[in-house]
Amino acid sequence: MNASSEARRSFSRRGFLGLTAAAASVPLLAACGGGSASQGGGGAGGTVKFWDMPWATPAYNDAAKSIAEGFSGANGSKASYQIIQWNNFYQTFSSAIASKTGPAVSTGGGFQAFQFEQQGQIAYADKVIDKLKANGQFDDFLPGVLDPFKSDKGYVAVPWQLDMRVFWYRKSLFEKANVALPTDWPSLLEAGKALKKVGAFGFTTGAGAGNNYANHSMIMMMVNNGGGVFNKDGELDLMNDRNVEAMEFVLELVSNGIVDPAAVSYTTDNMSAQWKDGKAGYGLFQVNVPQRVGDTSGDLLVADPIKGPHGDKATIVFPNNIMMYTNTPSQDASEEFLVYYLGQLKQLWQKKLMSALPVFKSITEMPEFADDPNNVKIVKDWQPIAKTFASQGSKLNANLAALDGGQALNQFSQTIITGKADAKTALQTFQSGLESVLKK
Amino acid sequence: MSSTTAQSGLARARRGVAPGGTGTAGGKRKSKLSAQATRTFFWLLLPSVVLLVLIHGYPLIYAAVQATHDGDLLQTGNFVGVQNFSTVLTSPAFWKAAQFTLWFTIVGVFGSWLVGLGLALLLRTKIPAGNTFKVLLLLPWVVPIVVSSTAWNWLVATPDSLIPALFRNLGLGTPLFLADPTLASITVMVFKVWVSFPFMMMMISAALASVDTTVYEAASMDGASPWQQFTQITLPLIARSTYISWILMTIFCVNDFPTIYLLTGGGPVNATTSLVVLAYRTVFQDFATGPGVAIAFLMTMTLVVISVILYRQIRKSSVE
Repeated sequence: MNASSEARRSFSRRGFLGLTAAAASVPLLAACGGGSASQGGGGAGGTVKFWDMPWATPAYNDAAKSIAEGFSGANGSKASYQIIQWNNFYQTFSSAIASKTGPAVSTGGGFQAFQFEQQGQIAYADKVIDKLKANGQFDDFLPGVLDPFKSDKGYVAVPWQLDMRVFWYRKSLFEKANVALPTDWPSLLEAGKALKKVGAFGFTTGAGAGNNYANHSMIMMMVNNGGGVFNKDGELDLMNDRNVEAMEFVLELVSNGIVDPAAVSYTTDNMSAQWKDGKAGYGLFQVNVPQRVGDTSGDLLVADPIKGPHGDKATIVFPNNIMMYTNTPSQDASEEFLVYYLGQLKQLWQKKLMSALPVFKSITEMPEFADDPNNVKIVKDWQPIAKTFASQGSKLNANLAALDGGQALNQFSQTIITGKADAKTALQTFQSGLESVLKK
Repeated sequence: MSSTTAQSGLARARRGVAPGGTGTAGGKRKSKLSAQATRTFFWLLLPSVVLLVLIHGYPLIYAAVQATHDGDLLQTGNFVGVQNFSTVLTSPAFWKAAQFTLWFTIVGVFGSWLVGLGLALLLRTKIPAGNTFKVLLLLPWVVPIVVSSTAWNWLVATPDSLIPALFRNLGLGTPLFLADPTLASITVMVFKVWVSFPFMMMMISAALASVDTTVYEAASMDGASPWQQFTQITLPLIARSTYISWILMTIFCVNDFPTIYLLTGGGPVNATTSLVVLAYRTVFQDFATGPGVAIAFLMTMTLVVISVILYRQIRKSSVE
């Protein structure tokens, strides 16, 4: 018997099918959970497991770890720190919570607290709010940042930073194009045409892999026109006239070449490169763009909010939050840790590690923050007009997670910035897509 | 020499019979294990079986439960029978993704096989700095996909990236490789071929290495041309490896998430959304666990069918 026939004998049909089924089951395994369930740390013995996301550079996580591990509770409780990557984060949290190995306290997706509240996994933060009232931090919150987290049963989470979207511009390009900064939609169109003549784009965005800025730009333009995805009662309201008008305007920007035709495929890195290389003249971005882009020329500046055709002024904001879970070694320790952590947040802005706005007035007044005129302008001019994804309503809920980064919104924004459909058709498709995933 | 003699020489060569040889008998030998040996065999096998059941069996059962229920990752809802499957099968997005997956797989399997075959044959010849060349050829397979996808993104993403700029300088316009739906599909498929050909090259090289060179001498003596030797000796003798590599590459292509997701995210406007990307988005972005797992089940069933068909080909190629 030669080696070949021996191999053939051992390579039986049944064995082969078994192997094939095992290999083919990879997508099933991927789809049915199995993320990093236990991340060490324990949870017993009074150790509060704190899970945090990579909100900025690794230096941020080092600083946050140091703060968390500096906690020492009244009853001797400690805190452990674990970074959770954004990839598959919902799966990671879900599987860990399901197996009772999840955190006691965490940051996470903007609407994560509402998703887990539905499943009874969230510990309400009303006692934390009471403690913040007692220590004076409650009055330190910027106006309106806490309200979105109050549900009928209590506070589902406590905000700790505001991920704001504001218009930025490159001053030298406007000078080169000899055009004024936009103050409203017609002047945005005019500026875009002028920037195009000097080889720059007047509505910088991106909708490639992992890039949500086009999604945010679309919703921002809707709310900037007094529209939004939901009505005041929280019902889907995409086909309203304001949204149609906003998307028709964006399509006009596209047809005039004011949006980069390659933007549909841009990752955030591609988009940052456009800003750095002087191809981006004006567009929606986050806080701290010069630091993110790596431009120290002082040429990148925050623009003024623009006015919609009906006089509305608005942008969008993601109030990121810290939530507590029912699975904790001690609810008292979780609450104590959360109050402690909120009290230490200023260190992150002092060290200039954050690409977001603080939620506390006292931090906005710190020299490390207030010395940057861009930061001051955002707090003064943009924060007061910022609205959440729940607009035109104001109540956050679990459905917003399906909107934020879901297939429907991404496909919609890609359709718009490629100019592949008219506004009403694109909105109708968007509405149908959302209807199929939103919980009734 | 007559063509009949040449054919007869090729036929012997295909069977792996050296000139003057009689070939191997491959006799069948039945062996009976003693009861003691059977018990030992059972106990030795048990840990692996338990592990397999735990690692593959439980998730499969759990997935089957999810596919037939509503709810989400954390809380399985009500039993809905085949509703998730009918939802998926009546969705245009599913069929668009299935179509893309089909093309992606066909191009991925045959593209990488052709490139791998060509290079494996080239590597059989003596070329200067052959070993260095081999190592370089393995790089696309060795480099982490996140690194290579980033590199490809730099090469093609913006109008000022290297390749679009090259096209522009050649007067061929400025193709937007990732922004145009057709070009993005082609780019993703070419990327897949680039990433996969080293695997094919290694499989084919291994198969070629096991071929007795005397069969070529025999065929040559019988007057077979190089093309005849390639089509009637080389290809048949590497057929088993070829079919196995096709099965594996089919599974790799259908299940390939990172290649697509990292380069295009499934866009633009779903042009490069494959079934596995759709399943991921459905479960983790739309939080629709049942339909997402249903897609994964449909993929698995399709893969099993394809694999069985190819396996039959393997058996055929083994029968003389």
